[in-house]
Amino acid sequence: MSQSIVSPETVLRELADLWVATGKDGPNDAGAGVLKACSMTLIAVAEAAEDTAGLGETIAALMPEHPARTILVRLSGPGEPTLSERVYAQCWMPFGQRRQICCEHIEIAVSDPSLPDLRSLLPPLAASDLPVILWCRSARLFDAPDIGGLAGIAQKVIVDSTILPDSRTALARLAAMAGGQALVGDLSWTQLTRWREIQSRIFENREYLTRLPEMTTVRVQFAGAQPPVHAWYMGAWSVDALATVGARARLSLEPDAALAGRALRVELAGKDFSMSLERQEDRLVTRVGDSSQCVSLSQPTDYMLMREELGIVRRDPVYERTLASAARLAVSFSA
Amino acid sequence: MLENPFQDPLRFERRTPECAIVIFGANGDLARRKLLPALYRLSYDRRLAAGFAVIGVSRTPLGDDQFREKMLKAVQEFSENTNVDDEVWSAFAQGLYYVAGDIADAGLYRRLGEKLAEVEQARHTGGNVLFYLSTQPSQYAPAALGIGAAGLGKGPGWRRLIVEKPFGHSLASARELSGRIHQVFDEPDVYRIDHYLGKETVQNILAFRFGNGIFEPLWNRRYVNHVQITGAESIGVEGRGAYYQEAGALDDMIQNHLLQVMATIAMEPTATFKAPSVRDERSKLLRSIRPMTPEELRRNAVPGQYGPARIGGLDAPGFRQEPGVDPQSQTNTYAAATFFVENWRWAGIPFYLRTGKRLPKRVTEIAIQFNPAPLAIFDSDGDGLPPNLLILRIQPEEGISVKFLSKRPGAGMRLRPVSMDFNYGSSFGERSPSAYETLLLDALVGDATLYTRQDMVEASWAVVEPIQNLWRETRFDFPNYAAGTWGPAAADEMLAQRGHAWRTP
Repeated sequence: MSQSIVSPETVLRELADLWVATGKDGPNDAGAGVLKACSMTLIAVAEAAEDTAGLGETIAALMPEHPARTILVRLSGPGEPTLSERVYAQCWMPFGQRRQICCEHIEIAVSDPSLPDLRSLLPPLAASDLPVILWCRSARLFDAPDIGGLAGIAQKVIVDSTILPDSRTALARLAAMAGGQALVGDLSWTQLTRWREIQSRIFENREYLTRLPEMTTVRVQFAGAQPPVHAWYMGAWSVDALATVGARARLSLEPDAALAGRALRVELAGKDFSMSLERQEDRLVTRVGDSSQCVSLSQPTDYMLMREELGIVRRDPVYERTLASAARLAVSFSA
Repeated sequence: MLENPFQDPLRFERRTPECAIVIFGANGDLARRKLLPALYRLSYDRRLAAGFAVIGVSRTPLGDDQFREKMLKAVQEFSENTNVDDEVWSAFAQGLYYVAGDIADAGLYRRLGEKLAEVEQARHTGGNVLFYLSTQPSQYAPAALGIGAAGLGKGPGWRRLIVEKPFGHSLASARELSGRIHQVFDEPDVYRIDHYLGKETVQNILAFRFGNGIFEPLWNRRYVNHVQITGAESIGVEGRGAYYQEAGALDDMIQNHLLQVMATIAMEPTATFKAPSVRDERSKLLRSIRPMTPEELRRNAVPGQYGPARIGGLDAPGFRQEPGVDPQSQTNTYAAATFFVENWRWAGIPFYLRTGKRLPKRVTEIAIQFNPAPLAIFDSDGDGLPPNLLILRIQPEEGISVKFLSKRPGAGMRLRPVSMDFNYGSSFGERSPSAYETLLLDALVGDATLYTRQDMVEASWAVVEPIQNLWRETRFDFPNYAAGTWGPAAADEMLAQRGHAWRTP
């Protein structure tokens, strides 16, 4: 299948043929057959070396809630110009139903020299009148200007900033992207949603809420030597929120050898009041003063994070504000 | 007033305030099967505020710990698609308390007041209390008055009251019940629960109608031929014969659930999606249903009662053979009625409602049949071309289907019906919340959109009471349908007089 020319018309014809074949293969009595479902175009860009099966499973799991025409671009790296494609359908039979629901998948393999060709190939392959979401899983491409020229195709670009080794650079890069036309989503931020929600919920209690203006410190502890992007996010978000109620809290980011992986411990403290959140395996423990509470909080998978991000194809003011603050704080801390 | 600065409405679930829920009848079936599992699930999903407590009230003497143990068993037995996590349960159970006593005893409310004060100190519930009457209907008014007499109906936070159906057994009794409740709670604080309105697909009717521009232009007498609303159950009275004998299908289903569904289908668009606007339109629709004379009712309302039959190799008893049922019972286990809405949108369009026990399958759906194309230019097989249908399925498989005609592939111009389906479960992979989770959450945040207001209850009784009266004074030749069939022949004739037929769901 190694070749260097792929025309959009060819791919579209193959898609049309695929539907005819799928219809013929399935049961054709009245009320059965296949149902085509599509609510967006999802372009997932990944390195060829990445676990194909794992990514395929994530995309498959997303389809029932976010049915999409998926274009999976696999980056094969340097070498001869290569551009090839294949199309297939992913179908599932809802429990108790006679009819399959199917989504279209296009897989494109591309080497670095052929990368510029994607800019002309991808737009005609997007489903009409529906949003295009670009999910960039390649650190190499994320680092390239305008994500290799692909950001302009999409309404929203989703990345996971943890794939970049340096969090300050990642934040600067994301902040620059957010100034462009496309909406930006970062799975490092998405993974904090449940944390942030629980922190917010604590202050639904009016007694605790009234203590917020007294807060003087936001302490974020993290695993490893350098603060990861999500630690910056958590710190910036907390400090920004406290500022809106008149609290001028100082942010401190500290490594903690007892923490592992992506774990964080967050503490908000004032003169006579403090609260903290800490992950313990699949639970989140919150402490407010002397009382503590525990809720289940499983480690978010790519599926869970993408599911949330695909549901937000509009401006996200809280994230945009936090990203700008986090990028600024990261620069000022390094200075 | 200080606002929570950590809110992120785009990503967070709706916030619920801290509060105590007082459940009267906490040892009863509803509390064990539905309420506690729903509350536990809300806690599991982190939807409840940290300052949250449940106080169970019932006659059986129990301590807090015994009550917690009992509720754990209930949650383990009746939770659907929910893991009972030890840690989550332990945190949830810390907020469970119990007060024993008789609803008629003033001492109960004094003890309840003391418990509420204790819970407020321990859990910081902010003085907010949601009272839930999950008792026998005859205890609704005494419980509300007891709460009022003890001064618990007012307090530092908000006080709300949830009442389960039936809301009275006639127009007069519904008014009387409301009058007594209103001595303690203002109408905006009274939440009459109709769990049908909490179902995802019933809510989706509003999204479907008012979120899309393409359907509303067709939603009127010019394009709609008639509407069928079916609420069928395959089971019998399942040991509730004695209770059911007093209620019957008309009171149990049509007066509340099916008329509310009809109101949702036929109401006018609202100016905003705020509770008063939505409820105003529902109420207006119910008040627009044409009252019928006894003579008209005889042609437009059909009662039924199932007789014994053999279903799937098993003998199913008739209603009169069920335990606790009078062998000469005149109770309707099936009811069908035709209603007409007197407004410009629906004048002359029949709305057929039917419900019954021991029908062939459990299904609740709304079928909107559209008028045929004005000119039949294509050949049919002699029976005419099948009509366009829009089907909104409420249970068991929530979804929406559109049936239309398409050319059969090949030479010639022969048409066949095809179906375009939207399946709620397969399109939104996630588990849908149960109706009780939705409605409890709504009551906690003070959103009464999906709750029934007093004027709606009265309007429904005004529609149903004449049928009730006519059926009471008539002696029917029951049973008139065999268990496992789609109801009595008279119900088919009711539609046939207008050239219509029940569709088979």
